[in-house]
Amino acid sequence: MAKFDLTPKMGQYLDRHLVFPLLEFLSAKGIYNETELLKAKLDILSKTNMIDYAIDIRKQLYPDDEIPDDLKQRRSHVVSQLQELQQEVEPILTVITDEEVMKNMESMRDSKTLINFLSKDYKFEIEMIDSLHKLAKYRYECGNYSVSTSYLYFCLLVLPPNDKNYLSVLWGKFASEILYQNWDSALEDLNKLREYIDSNPNQFSGNSLQLLQQRTWLIHWSLFVFFNHALGRELIIELFLYRPHYLNAIQTMCPHILRYLATAVIINRGRRSALKDLVKVIQQESYTYRDPITEFLEHLYVNFDFDGARQKLHECQTVLLNDFFLISCLDEFVENARLMIFETFCRIHQCISIGMLAEKLNMNPDEAECWIVNLIRNARLDAKIDSKLGHVVMGAQPLSPYQQLIEKIDSLSVRSETLCGLIDRKLRARTDIRWGNQDF
Amino acid sequence: MSRFFAGSDSDSDSSSEEEIIQRPAVPAFTFSDDEEEVKRVVRSAKEKRYEELTNIIKQIRNYKKIKDMSSMLNSFEELQKAYQKAAPVIIKEENGQTPRFFIRCLSEMEDFINEMWEDREGRKNMSKNNSKSLTSMRQKLRKYLKDFEDDLSKFRENPEQPDDEEEEEKPDVELDSENEAPPKNQFLKTPAKQAVIDDKDESSDDDDDWPSDSDTSSTSTDDDEGKYSGKYNRKRFLKTAGPDHEVEDEDKAIRKEEKRKERKEKERRKIKKEDEEDGEGEWETVRGGVAIPSEKPKMFAKDAEIDLSLVIKKLSEIMAARGKKRTDRREQIELLHELQNVSEQHQLGSAIYIKIKLAIISGIFDYNPKVSDAMKPEYWVKLLERMSEMLSMLLNTSNLVVSETITEEMENLEEPPFRIRGCILTSVERLDDEFTKLLKECDPHSNEYVERLKDECKVSNIIDKTMKYLERTNVPSELCRIYLRKIEHLYYKFDPRVLQKKSGDSTAPKDEMTSVQEMEKLCKFIYAKDSTDRLRTRAILSHIYHHALHDNWFQARDLVLMSHLQETIQHSDPSTQILYNRMMAHLGLCAFRHANIKDAHNCLVDLMMTGKPKELLAQGLLPQRQHERSKEQEKIEKQRQMPFHMHINLELLECVYLVSAMLIEIPYMAAHEFDARRRMISKTFYQQLRSSERQSLVGPPESMREHVVAAAKAMRNGNWAACNNFIINEKMNAKVWDLFYQADQVRGMLTKLIKEESLRTYLFTYSHVYDSISMQILAEMFDLGKPVVHSIISKMIINEELMASLDDPTQTVVMHRSEPSRLQSLALQLADKINNFVDSNERILETKQGNFFLRGANQVNKGNFRGDRQNYRGSNNQNWDRQRRDRDRNREKDNY
Repeated sequence: MAKFDLTPKMGQYLDRHLVFPLLEFLSAKGIYNETELLKAKLDILSKTNMIDYAIDIRKQLYPDDEIPDDLKQRRSHVVSQLQELQQEVEPILTVITDEEVMKNMESMRDSKTLINFLSKDYKFEIEMIDSLHKLAKYRYECGNYSVSTSYLYFCLLVLPPNDKNYLSVLWGKFASEILYQNWDSALEDLNKLREYIDSNPNQFSGNSLQLLQQRTWLIHWSLFVFFNHALGRELIIELFLYRPHYLNAIQTMCPHILRYLATAVIINRGRRSALKDLVKVIQQESYTYRDPITEFLEHLYVNFDFDGARQKLHECQTVLLNDFFLISCLDEFVENARLMIFETFCRIHQCISIGMLAEKLNMNPDEAECWIVNLIRNARLDAKIDSKLGHVVMGAQPLSPYQQLIEKIDSLSVRSETLCGLIDRKLRARTDIRWGNQDF
Repeated sequence: MSRFFAGSDSDSDSSSEEEIIQRPAVPAFTFSDDEEEVKRVVRSAKEKRYEELTNIIKQIRNYKKIKDMSSMLNSFEELQKAYQKAAPVIIKEENGQTPRFFIRCLSEMEDFINEMWEDREGRKNMSKNNSKSLTSMRQKLRKYLKDFEDDLSKFRENPEQPDDEEEEEKPDVELDSENEAPPKNQFLKTPAKQAVIDDKDESSDDDDDWPSDSDTSSTSTDDDEGKYSGKYNRKRFLKTAGPDHEVEDEDKAIRKEEKRKERKEKERRKIKKEDEEDGEGEWETVRGGVAIPSEKPKMFAKDAEIDLSLVIKKLSEIMAARGKKRTDRREQIELLHELQNVSEQHQLGSAIYIKIKLAIISGIFDYNPKVSDAMKPEYWVKLLERMSEMLSMLLNTSNLVVSETITEEMENLEEPPFRIRGCILTSVERLDDEFTKLLKECDPHSNEYVERLKDECKVSNIIDKTMKYLERTNVPSELCRIYLRKIEHLYYKFDPRVLQKKSGDSTAPKDEMTSVQEMEKLCKFIYAKDSTDRLRTRAILSHIYHHALHDNWFQARDLVLMSHLQETIQHSDPSTQILYNRMMAHLGLCAFRHANIKDAHNCLVDLMMTGKPKELLAQGLLPQRQHERSKEQEKIEKQRQMPFHMHINLELLECVYLVSAMLIEIPYMAAHEFDARRRMISKTFYQQLRSSERQSLVGPPESMREHVVAAAKAMRNGNWAACNNFIINEKMNAKVWDLFYQADQVRGMLTKLIKEESLRTYLFTYSHVYDSISMQILAEMFDLGKPVVHSIISKMIINEELMASLDDPTQTVVMHRSEPSRLQSLALQLADKINNFVDSNERILETKQGNFFLRGANQVNKGNFRGDRQNYRGSNNQNWDRQRRDRDRNREKDNY
């Protein structure tokens, strides 16, 4: 199933540390060669400061080899560096640990008063923030995400939004929150970041290329949040489909994101209206990206090829099973996809044989009948089952022209009446030139 | 100019031309006129009177042009008065001879009035005031002319000659009068008394001058202008315009000739002298040139020791004559050639070689005096040879720089690194332009054209070489320019290798660069490096064109959408707009090949709707109707034309457009038979259809259009086989379809689409007579696979186009009797209309309310409302635009 694996494509737009979960997942699935994966991991680790972890993986890879000396040296170097940095920002660290002060700080209005307050009471200097930023980054590189989160939080409180490090701090905080799996605050950071990028295009000195790149990164990182946070399914549609900038970014840079968007739309029963827009986008991009999920939608809503849709649904299951983000919503996906097929089917048929339907839905007939009965009972369908022949007969009849006519004319009289009323009042207002009448 | 004027005699024509020439002088005259009122101006009485007269005459001419009879009558009366005033002066100074320009005016007026009078049709259409004036004018003029009968008849004997003379001289005169202005002003500042004295003085001076005048003027006319001092003014010329003119003219011609010879002699002498001054020896310059063209010009004396400085000197000597009136351009070229031979014989190095080549090339360019005309073929061939020789030389010598930034002093021809002043790029661009001109000159169906077209290889070669040369210096702006030239030679050429590669043909060479790749490389460079917007725009357009030509539909489409050109293109220059139109045409064809009928239609609709795609694509001028354009305009338009080998087949374009319109329009018509708000999708197609319906007897189709119309009719009845036969048959193949590279694919695609659309039309048209239809039978009827039929019907049901549903066990389509009857549909329409009515009522009230009550607050709101409506209308006009908005992908083109 390596064909539909998106990890290599996604990796380009993710941070080193964010790629780890993906690789872990892949090694659990066992699609790829284990040693190759380990090598890749080691490669990634080589640029970080997680030396211990690197040593572990080395042992797995080359159980017979000795641990090279430079790794050991680096380890001690990292530790010493860490201490050095820590000393530099000692005053801040004491502030951070003091909960009372932190509460105080949060209530401050803007960064200026905050800085004043800090420098007065705690020997704080603005240059320390730079060092704190460095330290946070160092901690992050060491895999110490929770600490880095708190440091960066402090940075955000102090720094004004036009500082040169502000964006970097935002990204750092976002990444650490993701890796710390603190989805609520990650979502908060995501929104902050998005607002920052969208509202300050000048930050990138009008360089639309850079802007686009930032958005692409944001899109990829946000996947972690969207598929783990409860509200994520709503938000992903909002962000990816209905914000033109982000839709453009997807279309231009990373059409493979359409898979996640499509899945989100499918599993989100309340957002059927988004389907139409999504199908349009999928069709446009069909020449650059297609996978079973987009093809499923295409078969169902463009070609009305139910057999094709059924086949694709089958393929979709394997794809979902092997996708880091989507594996959690596999069951939901299958259920909703079936429902979509069935709904579309009902809309164009007036009489369906249950056997055929069961085949289309990848179910056995008895199960299918039960399923349909449940649907009917939940009052979502106006249909009846002819048990003897094994048919489902649809009840809905289209509007007759007479009804259409009535519907059209219905509102007319009301509207005309209000119009008349308005004119009447106006006439009266004109003839009535008493004082105090102008407020009309 | 009006129609009446076109038929009039040469007199009036020439007068109007004269007007144009005179115009710039007007301010000068009026200036002095205004002055007259306020302060005293020093002028002789004659000058004043004459000027008054000429001013009035000018006015009359203007009125004549616009046929304003009443004003003309007024001016005529003024003229009479003015002449009366001038009469004493005339008697005094010209011995009672009526001035010629006055007579001319009278005769012109007479002609004009007569003509107007005879044109009964025109007279009827005139306003009352005008026709009244015309009659009175005619009478008055007749009366007045009696006094001048003699002069008039004399004038009519030879009206032409003096006129020319006058015209020749006039510009000079004006120049003089302008020169004169400053001293006049000085006079003005002196006290009045002195002015009077001056006046007297001057006038007496003038009087003294008169008798001797005619002699000097004739010799000086074509000579240096500097000879005229401010003292002389226009009166002199007016005077010479007397009856003794002819003699003078001849005289002058002879003198001119003499003068020219004399001058040449002088020049030669001068050259000789200079050479002698060099002190090198007693070698003599041999004169070459017009007088003895057969004799080969010799440069240096036989025994002269020829070295670099000598050659350079000679070269600059020859070049010094460049651009002067008297130099014989052909002789110059020959001289330069000779010089080059000499330098080659003595092996003076590549620098001087290139220097001379540059001179030759500019000499050849100079040979053709008119910019708009093409150069002569024999010179063209020479130019090509020289150019490619020079470029190969340039490429071979590495230590040489040619640049326009190098000044004459900085030039270094003696030792490396050589530096030469000049610009290769400009001359190559000029060469390319000349080539286009040359092609346009030829008849495209003649052998001559083919012969010329063979030079295209050479021109491309030259451009390639220049590219190589410029890549050495690597100046981005220059590289962009030459790349664009290269692109312009590349973009319209079809490269079959691209398609071979795409289809995975193993015979295609793998490592060779296809033209699409090359295009990509060049264009990307321009996108990145270009600083002028124009080059980039042209590069994008050519790039899209090239993609479309090679069936790269998606790339082409994305590039169009990303570039946002459709919004700004109307602000660009015409030739870019033409390129845009050409690009759109090919994009449409490409969409058609990819079975994107809607896109094809949208691309082509703007071109076809106007009915003049030929003009929009610059492939020929429309026949002129009622003097729509002047000569200058026509000239400009001719310059813009595309050479024939770059033309897009118009019949193909139209056919593709009509067929796509048919495929969209016919099902739409069937679906909305009773819909009041049905809109036409394609006007052009509608016209064709209607004009054929109007015919009482329709024969078998002959032309392409008739075929499409017949096919459309067949499709309306759901007869796909007949429709298909009309669209795809021997005749249409030969005319249209075989022009596509992969014609069979296109035909297959067409047949499939025709079947599908016929099925849809059939269902729309006949669904009301069915209770249920078996899908099996439908599939057989339209020769389509059952899944396809199923999919089409499903789509129609989902979109609520067809009131029906499928019955799965029996595989039939069950119709719901909900198709409204005629009465019902009319009632629905009525309801719609009433709805609109109420809507508009509400809107009216809203605006009124805004005016009455919430004057300030509601204003903004109202403006918005109006703006919205305009937008709506605007988007309707531009289909492609609207579509883009639908998709709304604002990708930045930088990212491409």
